[in-house]
Amino acid sequence: MRPLPLLILSFLIWSFSPAKAQFYQTTNAEISFFSSAPVEDIEAVSNDGVSVLNIDNGAISFKVKVRSFKFEKALMQEHFNENYMESERFTDAILKGQITGGLDPGFSNSQELIIKGDLTIHGVTQEREIPVVVQISKDGKQLRLNSKFEVACKDHKIKIPKLLWENIAEVIEVTVDANYQIIKP
Amino acid sequence: MKKIYLLVFLFTCSGIYAQDVDSLMATLNGEKDFRTIATFKSPRLVLLQTNETQKAKNLAFWVGHRFGDIGGEFGGSNTLFGLDIATDLYLGFDYGITDALTVGIGRSKFNESYSGLVKYRLLWQEEESMPLSVTLFGQSSWITREPFSRNEFDKESDRISHFLQVIIARKFSPGVSVMINPGYLIRPEAQIQDFEDSDNLFSLGFGARVKILKRISIIADYTIVNGLSRPDELGIDYYNPFGVGVEIETGGHVFALNFQNSQAIIANNFIPNTTKSWTDGGVRFGFMISRNFNLGPRRTIN
Repeated sequence: MRPLPLLILSFLIWSFSPAKAQFYQTTNAEISFFSSAPVEDIEAVSNDGVSVLNIDNGAISFKVKVRSFKFEKALMQEHFNENYMESERFTDAILKGQITGGLDPGFSNSQELIIKGDLTIHGVTQEREIPVVVQISKDGKQLRLNSKFEVACKDHKIKIPKLLWENIAEVIEVTVDANYQIIKP
Repeated sequence: MKKIYLLVFLFTCSGIYAQDVDSLMATLNGEKDFRTIATFKSPRLVLLQTNETQKAKNLAFWVGHRFGDIGGEFGGSNTLFGLDIATDLYLGFDYGITDALTVGIGRSKFNESYSGLVKYRLLWQEEESMPLSVTLFGQSSWITREPFSRNEFDKESDRISHFLQVIIARKFSPGVSVMINPGYLIRPEAQIQDFEDSDNLFSLGFGARVKILKRISIIADYTIVNGLSRPDELGIDYYNPFGVGVEIETGGHVFALNFQNSQAIIANNFIPNTTKSWTDGGVRFGFMISRNFNLGPRRTIN
């Protein structure tokens, strides 16, 4: 084995490998959810979503502290944490997966894609395909990800007492608006 | 030499996998210190106040009831184990001016007393930096019944007493919360039933909640009054107030179904006047129900 070709090969692998992959991150993604039921509509917002996205292979990880959701009514917020989400035991809601559908790092118009991955809420993991819209800024320094999807309480073993079915929807609509910044190597 | 080149090659290849999404996520710590919520489900435990207050612009309507002795001389089947009798009835409203400050008014059947209370949350337990919650509680009571004897209340101020308490609480786990409540009762001499008794009384309360189901808890509190500043040899037998109960929470309601030896509901009445004992049938059934109303305009989120 001659050393030179090996060195050239290792340089080539290094320069084209995902080790130099572009990562994007955010620590203030806005996540809101909406429950529409006969008696009342309930809305809550968190601005503390944390996420990292690898633009080259599409790997994405998303996490939000359940405690960070704010409600219109303080008592609702307490019930959400205490009775439904049990946020002292299950502190985070997590999505881990892969962006599929041909994410193009150089394309600056909106790209409609799908995240295939595991959604963990209330300690229960569900395999999901979540539609997202990704838009990368022209200079490539920023990336915006929007998504709207539904979460069924039943899928994550979140129990709603029969007495309160008129107040809380069985399927919750979740909206995500995340602005990522590029991580400089 | 070849080995070294090979090592370089392997090293650069392994570098490909060194940085991934998960390791980057681990470096992003959006960690915030959150206030511990719902140390207790309700601003009241069995007899004592908890560190909890009303949420801002929320009004609670309170209905409390204490029945008669279950056993002993005054209980048994003659009174259907006390259910025929009401030793105290309480109706009250508590309102949260802010999340930390609550004011309330109430009226008790016991001594026909009207009472006003103030609660202020001084410290909030936090997940990382603060181990305890501390709430200050003050309550004044005005006895309006006719005097039992002609000169029982010489002056109007003889009818008024004040109770001050510091509530120190900690939520140890989602299911277990504990509190310690040192208190001081200030009352005029005219309200003393046994003339050897002291006017002002120190008290030391202990309370705990243990969740057995998500919405159902076992609650208990015990208040030491005897053996602190109260004289030992008194003509009237006074006992330390002790209550246990089950607390059920359903949305905006909290129900507490209790057994206790105190005949009265507010501290100004039960701290000095608990003359019934758990051992001689003086224990009674009681309940406390609260209904919460959100009066404020919808809080703007964000």
